[in-house]
Amino acid sequence: MSGHRTALIWDPAVTGYYFRPDHPFNPRRLELTVSLIEALGLAGGADTPIVAPRQATDRELLRVHSAEYVDAVKRFSREGADTRDAWKFGLGTDDTPVFPGMHEVTSLVTGGSIQAAEMVMGGEVTRAFNLCGGLHHAHRDRGSGFCVYSDLAAAIAWIREAHGSRVMYIDYDAHHGDGVQGIFYDDPEVLTLSIHESGRYLFPGTGYVDELGDGEGYGYSLNLPLEAFSEDDSWIWIHERLIPEVAEAFRPDVIVLQNGCDGHVLDPLTHLRATTRLYEETVRIVCETADRLCGGRVVATGGGGYAVWTVVPRAWTLVWAGLSGQHAPDMIPREWLDRWQGEAPELLPERLRDPAGSWPAVPRRAEVEATNRRTFEALRRQAYPLLRGWGLGF
Amino acid sequence: MLVKHRMTADPHAVRPGDSLAHALRLTREHRIRHLPVVVDGELAGIVSDRDIRLAMPSPLTVADADRAAFLERTPVEQVMTREVITTGALDTVEDAAKLLCRNRIGSLPVVDAHGRLVGMLTETDVLTAFAEVFSAGGASTRLEVLIPDRPGELARALGIVGGDLKLNVTSLMVLPRGRDGQKTTVFHVGTIDPREAIEALERAGFTVGWPSLETDLRKGMAS
Repeated sequence: MSGHRTALIWDPAVTGYYFRPDHPFNPRRLELTVSLIEALGLAGGADTPIVAPRQATDRELLRVHSAEYVDAVKRFSREGADTRDAWKFGLGTDDTPVFPGMHEVTSLVTGGSIQAAEMVMGGEVTRAFNLCGGLHHAHRDRGSGFCVYSDLAAAIAWIREAHGSRVMYIDYDAHHGDGVQGIFYDDPEVLTLSIHESGRYLFPGTGYVDELGDGEGYGYSLNLPLEAFSEDDSWIWIHERLIPEVAEAFRPDVIVLQNGCDGHVLDPLTHLRATTRLYEETVRIVCETADRLCGGRVVATGGGGYAVWTVVPRAWTLVWAGLSGQHAPDMIPREWLDRWQGEAPELLPERLRDPAGSWPAVPRRAEVEATNRRTFEALRRQAYPLLRGWGLGF
Repeated sequence: MLVKHRMTADPHAVRPGDSLAHALRLTREHRIRHLPVVVDGELAGIVSDRDIRLAMPSPLTVADADRAAFLERTPVEQVMTREVITTGALDTVEDAAKLLCRNRIGSLPVVDAHGRLVGMLTETDVLTAFAEVFSAGGASTRLEVLIPDRPGELARALGIVGGDLKLNVTSLMVLPRGRDGQKTTVFHVGTIDPREAIEALERAGFTVGWPSLETDLRKGMAS
């Protein structure tokens, strides 16, 4: 599956999206990932250009955020700003603190995702990966869960305005993609599909099957909450069915893919138990679907991922390799390990892919899998008949 | 939470002289099971789709046409329940729920001080209200915490989460039954990263379950 020119959106300046030293959303993971991709020789060629992001304009932010919110972010962005009313905008919290220059750097992250969309929709590349993007908890008028602006919604809104295209948004971050869902909740031209750990246990506490959209957009928000302790087999089994089935009915012009990798078993913030296989398989499923239905077009971003040293660089290198149709060797280059091991607080894995059987099976595996299958059947039953093209393409 | 916030105001109703056929049609059209019976706005009885079906002659012995004729000519007052269990708009949903459970009934007409019908509260309304009470109440992470059933203990736990760590508690439930003199509480804490809160609570002697007390695997894979 080669022949797809793919852009990596990257500039070290995006690591300025940095809340404070002990904060879990650690931009270090971006440097680690890019250096691993480079060490493996997977980017920088004629078909794998590395492209620096640009700033999002106010106009682009205002397509998806309220003027009041953007003004507030700008205000809190200044050195020594009065932040007493920051809580009204979901900011100044432990999760999403304010910091000087936050407007500028978040605009750069957002601009990166818009640029990824521009390159894909303009035909310059077939796919693009803005690994610093994926801020899926930002809402129209407030920040939340480490997210200030919604780069994802801004990119989708740009696609809608510039091309009028139909967008399928797929989000398999361990947390529900509530921000993106909310912004397009009544829009039937933007289908949001989020697969995540059940909100019964995990932040933000939403993302149930019966959140289906509103008004014209009823039927175009889809959610599959997974049981805590779900593993690869069950999760991939669902992706293999859900993603092509929904895409066949919806017939998108482009897929926007959020690749949060916090569903990995080593991630400290969630209870899901995926291995690197999930990332490789999901990108394969999404790319095959895009190749079949929408000229291969995929605009990809990063997302959550808090096992900064042991998971994120490997997971996103596999995402990049899958998007760009390259084979990634399994052994991590010695030079990369030598470069980073000194700083790493834990032993860095030597293989890109988790060897099978690295972790023991969870107790009650059969129950977890049965619950996931039941949830998937409930989603099929409730959501599929609401899709315009349901039953036509099969 | 008061009944008036959860009831259906201006509900579909019938008069005592209306035919069973008319009543049955209403229940089907609006997918409801209970119809209050009113005279000049005052509640006179209640009739359910089940009451009507039970009153109907058996299809095994009576022809369909005759059954239809029976429904057309029989007035609601012949099958309605006259002793109606009711609630008031300013009663609490909790009390209404108890009435529904204790009497094993599916709905309560809501009446004012003069016995006039002002609404209907169904078991579905009550369930929906309780489902909301159990919900997260905002972007949050759910923790289960065992709290010793003594004065000051709940306040101590809240002091840690809300006071020391300045986290918003978006929803809090104290389950009535406990174990070993402790009560299970469910905290919805407004953060994506509850590790600090868990650690602080455990340091203070509380038992914390995340995702839940039953399924917490942090202490190893055995369960």
